[in-house]
Amino acid sequence: MAADKPATAAVPQADVRPPLGTWGRLYALVLGVLAVEIFLLALLARAFG
Amino acid sequence: MSGLDWAVLAATLVAIVVYGSWKSRGVHTTESFLRAGKDIRWWTIGLSVIATQASAITFLSVPGQAYQDGLGFVQFYFGLPVAMVILSAIIVPIYHRLRLYTAYEYLEQRFDRRTRQFTALLFLVSRGLASGLAIYAPALVLSAVLGWPALWTNFVLGATTIVYTVLGGSRAVSRTQSAQMALISVGLVAALVIAVMRLPAGMSLGQGVALAGALGKLQGVDFSLRFDTRYTLWSGLFGGLFVQLAYFGTDQSQVQRYLAGGPLVESRLGLLMNGLLKVPMQLFILFIGVMVFVYYQLSPSPLFFNRAEWERARARDGASVAQLEEAHAAAFAEQRAAIDRFLAPGAAPAAVAAARSEMQTDQARVTSLRRQAGALVARTLPGSDPKDSDFIFLRFVLDHFPRGLIGLLVAVILSAAMSANSAALSSLGATTVVDFFRPRFPGASDRQTLLVARLATAGWGLLAVGFAAFASLLDNLIQAVNILGSLFYGPMLGVFLVGFFLSRVRGPAAFWATVSGEALVLAAATFGKVGFLWYNVLGCLVVVGLAPLLQVAMPVRPGPGPPS
Repeated sequence: MAADKPATAAVPQADVRPPLGTWGRLYALVLGVLAVEIFLLALLARAFG
Repeated sequence: MSGLDWAVLAATLVAIVVYGSWKSRGVHTTESFLRAGKDIRWWTIGLSVIATQASAITFLSVPGQAYQDGLGFVQFYFGLPVAMVILSAIIVPIYHRLRLYTAYEYLEQRFDRRTRQFTALLFLVSRGLASGLAIYAPALVLSAVLGWPALWTNFVLGATTIVYTVLGGSRAVSRTQSAQMALISVGLVAALVIAVMRLPAGMSLGQGVALAGALGKLQGVDFSLRFDTRYTLWSGLFGGLFVQLAYFGTDQSQVQRYLAGGPLVESRLGLLMNGLLKVPMQLFILFIGVMVFVYYQLSPSPLFFNRAEWERARARDGASVAQLEEAHAAAFAEQRAAIDRFLAPGAAPAAVAAARSEMQTDQARVTSLRRQAGALVARTLPGSDPKDSDFIFLRFVLDHFPRGLIGLLVAVILSAAMSANSAALSSLGATTVVDFFRPRFPGASDRQTLLVARLATAGWGLLAVGFAAFASLLDNLIQAVNILGSLFYGPMLGVFLVGFFLSRVRGPAAFWATVSGEALVLAAATFGKVGFLWYNVLGCLVVVGLAPLLQVAMPVRPGPGPPS
């Protein structure tokens, strides 16, 4: 039965995934900024186009 | 240009050469000549990488491009941040681990010497010719607009660059580029401020932007999947990624900037800085062009911005020129009236929509007349360029900037030419010494190697100036610059990708695949009708596809594998 499973059996995702790390965050920042720029450009074109 | 402009220009150029020469103190070894130094920080690397890519033509052409086509050109750079992440995460750590001076050394460690030297030769040919064109292109525009003799402009640009690059090598190049980028940034901000200030009294920046948007100049992203459109989101992201990976990953003029001798972390951060700043910087320059466009919708604009050529055409066929100018003046007057109705405060939405539609029709007429003017120039002056977009920004600067600032803007253009060329000359000298001289004369002393490095740098500089003197024989300069790079980048990127990712491929297979890729690209360029941007894809895919096949066909011999 599911209720019999000890509570510790459910391992939180954060414990099994490797941390993003400083470089990962920097890469995400660079790509995220690009995505925001593309979004804003699309918005600008729509607003004034 | 006034006396004040000349003083600003001369002071700026002298300051750059003195600063570069001063920074070259302590360059007494080959190591210090070929590398910027262990103390270089990421922001210097980042600025140096940006300055190397931003040539004079960037500042002459890009605003003109925005004038004609709006913000769409920015999409060409969408692949750049992605390329910076890939380089920073995968490729730069490999280069650093191997303690390379040039990218091509990797190819000998991974494959063999002939693959290294063949690829280095492709770089020398392409960059050597491109640096000649990079000197000639701004000289051509400046001589046409300012009346300077092109030969002397070539010579002054080339000589000043050669002096500090030969004295200080990569160290002087990187440090000088930081100062040049500061100057360029000041010049660009000043250009935008002046362009906005020149809008008619009572007109806000918001109204200017609304006008540009109504005339289609703010379309910065095109989501369509059309292959016949040069700049779309997808061609920028995927095609652009391809071009930028090849340029930043295999072109020594860039590799030398980030393999500067400092720690790996500084190189990676410098490239990421480029990834963050490049798109906004291009957007900023394009926006200047859009504001120049707005200005010329409200004030009479030249029909053809290369005034010297237009006057020559008038001398040959005055009647046709007058007819076109008359039609242009009429179209301008009608468009100006429609713009006034479009911007009128409190106008009804229906009236605004009607004015907008009328403006767009008039704009199409003006565009058509500009095209006819280009055709007239080409017809009456055989061999001349029918396009005038490279002259738009400089014409605006000369006609509307205050005294002193004109000199500053011309100094910005010359600084950009010098920074891109110094990086090119430094990398050409480094590749000549590291990839050809050292393997041939392994017993040469450091003093001899340094001397050869300096002589090679000076030699490439003189060759570039000499080539620039004959570049007027080429029909279309900018096209030539773009095509030149695309003839070699594909196979160069291909052989590096084979090295990084196809561990079973050995030297002979890689070498012959690269030779075949290059031969195919040259054949496609000579006989085919494919757009030149596709040469990059073609060359790379041929090398990456052919190398494993050749490896299967060739007997496996013991040789170097992937460096660990």
